[in-house]
Amino acid sequence: MTDLRLAGRPVYFGARVARVEDDRLLTGQSTYVADVRLPGMVDVAIVRSVFAHAKVSVNVDLARAVDGVLDVVRAADLQDVSEYPDFITYMQPVKGFPLARDKVRYVGSPIAAVVAEDRYVAEDAAEAVEVDYDELPVVTTAGSALAEDAPKLFDHWPDNRIVNLPLELDDVEDVFRGRRVVRGRYSTHRHSGVPMETRGCVAEYRDGRLTLWTSAQSPHIVRTTLSYVLPIAERDIRVVAPDVGGGFGVKTHIYPEEVLVSWLAIRLGRPVRWIEDRAEHLVASNHAREHTLEMEAAVDDDGTIRAVRCHLLHDVGSGEIFMPGICPSFVAGSHVAGAYRIPLAENSYTQYVTNKTPSGAYRGFGAPEAYFAVEQLVEKVAREVGVNAIDLRRRMLLRDEDLPYTTATGGIIDSGSFQESFERALELGREAEARRREEHEGETNVRIGFGIATYLEGTAPTYFGTTGHWTSHDSATIRIEPDGSAVVSVGVTTTGQGTTTMAAVLTADALGLPLERVRVEIGDTDSCPYGLGGWGSRSTVTGGGAILKAAATIREKVLRIAAHRLEVDEADLVIEEGNVHVVGSADRAITMGEIGTAAWVRTLDLPPGVDPGLEAVATYDPPLLQHVADERGRMNGAAAWANATHAAIVKVDVDTGVVEILDYVVVHDCGPMVNPPILEGQVQGGVAQEIGGTLYEHMAYTEDGQPLATTFMDYLIPSATEIPEIVIEHFESPSPNMPLGLKGAGEGGCLGPPATLANAVVDALREFDVEITALPITPAVIRDKIRSPRRVDA
Amino acid sequence: MNTVSEPVEMLEIALTVNGVARSATVPVRKLLSDFIREDLQLTGTHVGCEHGVCGACTILVDGDPVRSCIMLAVQADGRELTTVEGITPEEGLNPLQQAFKDHHGLQCGFCTPGFLMTITGVDPDEYPDEQSIREMLSGNLCRCTGYQNIVTAVKAAWGRPIE
Repeated sequence: MTDLRLAGRPVYFGARVARVEDDRLLTGQSTYVADVRLPGMVDVAIVRSVFAHAKVSVNVDLARAVDGVLDVVRAADLQDVSEYPDFITYMQPVKGFPLARDKVRYVGSPIAAVVAEDRYVAEDAAEAVEVDYDELPVVTTAGSALAEDAPKLFDHWPDNRIVNLPLELDDVEDVFRGRRVVRGRYSTHRHSGVPMETRGCVAEYRDGRLTLWTSAQSPHIVRTTLSYVLPIAERDIRVVAPDVGGGFGVKTHIYPEEVLVSWLAIRLGRPVRWIEDRAEHLVASNHAREHTLEMEAAVDDDGTIRAVRCHLLHDVGSGEIFMPGICPSFVAGSHVAGAYRIPLAENSYTQYVTNKTPSGAYRGFGAPEAYFAVEQLVEKVAREVGVNAIDLRRRMLLRDEDLPYTTATGGIIDSGSFQESFERALELGREAEARRREEHEGETNVRIGFGIATYLEGTAPTYFGTTGHWTSHDSATIRIEPDGSAVVSVGVTTTGQGTTTMAAVLTADALGLPLERVRVEIGDTDSCPYGLGGWGSRSTVTGGGAILKAAATIREKVLRIAAHRLEVDEADLVIEEGNVHVVGSADRAITMGEIGTAAWVRTLDLPPGVDPGLEAVATYDPPLLQHVADERGRMNGAAAWANATHAAIVKVDVDTGVVEILDYVVVHDCGPMVNPPILEGQVQGGVAQEIGGTLYEHMAYTEDGQPLATTFMDYLIPSATEIPEIVIEHFESPSPNMPLGLKGAGEGGCLGPPATLANAVVDALREFDVEITALPITPAVIRDKIRSPRRVDA
Repeated sequence: MNTVSEPVEMLEIALTVNGVARSATVPVRKLLSDFIREDLQLTGTHVGCEHGVCGACTILVDGDPVRSCIMLAVQADGRELTTVEGITPEEGLNPLQQAFKDHHGLQCGFCTPGFLMTITGVDPDEYPDEQSIREMLSGNLCRCTGYQNIVTAVKAAWGRPIE
């Protein structure tokens, strides 16, 4: 393998370097997609279904007659547009299409697109589109969708199951037979990433080429997908993800509007823009997390879990989304044994469609749901068996001597600090708990609770489970210019995580260059090599691997040129601070500029037999990753496994049911940190997001499929007064299999809060003997629990 | 200020934006946020919800923080507006912007101008401690940072101790 390392002593790697992207963002000089301005640009408004399930017929004549309208299109007009491919073989085919053809399956489903001189006129004309709805019976729950006589969403399917993968393993049955079985049924509710920037896209067709600016996490995948569904060759498509205002998984999907706006730009010969408004976003961008995990643990007399069985039920909404929304269940399944030495696991999957917004990717991607179940089940085992839950975890958590360890679900764990992070979070949490109990002593309506949860986070996963098509690699190109400065172009992208800074830091330290002499190109398919984008805690691991690999090739050539010019042996040279010099003799040096000039300009200065140029492109594919599960459902779906433990102290008001988080502790381990402030920001942000998911945010529906959260008055994103200070400590256990030992970190923060807070609330209310089996934990839920504690939530 | 007796579609307005006198004829239904972004091409002001909750579009109107997505452009007639472009020095960053950078108070940056304008428009003396600073910030939503580093940046910019 190529030598994936830095040039020498790290200068920026691991240091608290300020982000290179910040100045533009702080001064209003950024360019989000809504800021892209092209001459002659026109605006699109989308007509969306107001019913959850109906046959539709559409008349656009009145809308076409509105002054300022250029075009109004329905599905029937998209003659040369192909269906999205259905790549996944074990999933019912959805045959997705940008506009509803004869039937709508959720409120918000796109029916027609109106193009006008500006958005105000487009929205006027959208009002004039006449849609006749012939309403059909609606399913919104597992019960109604899976009933024998349930109305079907897709006529060409046998029922509403989009995925049905039962599994029965004899050895698991053997372990269960004769052992005590502890059961729990844990449901997480519908919520989503909801980035502050909604989606949006701008397309231009000029000189036979289509350019699409889109608020997306994976521009190359958008490009390839457009080439599948539009009659245009991939070489003639350029996709640009400009500044993106948060993604969180929502912007990994390829949405109908990206196809429509591209198609309209080609058809009209004018630049076309569509910017999603927030009311649209809450019904037209993917939802997530509506999972139920029916879990069983076979336990010994001391509570040690010998096997787990899980039936995962997943409400994927209408399923009309590309990439499909089914994979979070498999990721949840891959985490059902937690960070524990549980030898056996068996997962069965029932995923079903309902008349709700399609479900899909959200930060954590199934893992928060899994840990909500696993980390409560462990506590339940302890309660039922009568042992201490902390001691039970200590007995089962992975130990250093177990490594490398293959989990019951196939994860290959090569490093980590499972016991240490747990003990440290416990210590910090207990200190905080003691302080808080003293502070609130004597307050009769207040109960204080302590909760803890510990987990593994699979990072840099394969994309094959999600897409049935794309896998896992990423790419980087590095070029040293004649003046000795460097340009690094990456296939990973940023939606705010600091990926640009990561790329600059690794490039600078891998080439011994000052940081300010590195420029990063990111998010543009014309200037960046093919990559899968930014999601799944993958950019630093996979993009970083590609950067280090390209840099190794550059270093080799730099040393060869320098050795020739300085008339020394390559082994006697050091690259640092933009120079190559002889070891111990800083004045016998050649600058990177002189080397760049030799490579590109004065090629007569090159050693004999060395080609001109100083540029390298590299791809990196993580070595241990598997793309397909075995017959037991096992696979190592993640390139590297991080770990963490969260602890929280909550205050519950037993009169009002209000939960307040007093303290929140994270002890985190993702191996070496490229940039500690960025990593801490990721952890803080992830925790905050899933505090929102645990306590406040809910995309609720009525029985007839009407969404109840369509504004920020109903969808409650936490503000600065709801999120506590989050105390973070680190362990750094490098992976022996990854470049520089790196593991990913972007999603980790959001894996802990559901279980941690649920455990804390259960602890606070222990005199009432409650269980928390469903999210969100709202004041009404708490009040209800106190009144009738043992009721299991629907 | 225009006085209108008959309904009209367009009105002329005159206002000051970032210290520069501007005038325009605008549709009476046009949102102030759209006027700032589309007509004045000051795209540092972002639109996150269009219903006055998220605070991304916050600007100063006569010195006070205002959500420009729930104000009409014609209502800004005769007023003095400041946007993020107006608090940015010719070179570099102002002290508040620098504090955000120093303390990693931003990630994707979309909500950031709104936060900067809210903070610029308040009197620090009215927010003496962390709790009151958090209350001051609670009208602006951020989805990336978890707010902690924003709170730290405010303290730093206001010369308060950072623990």
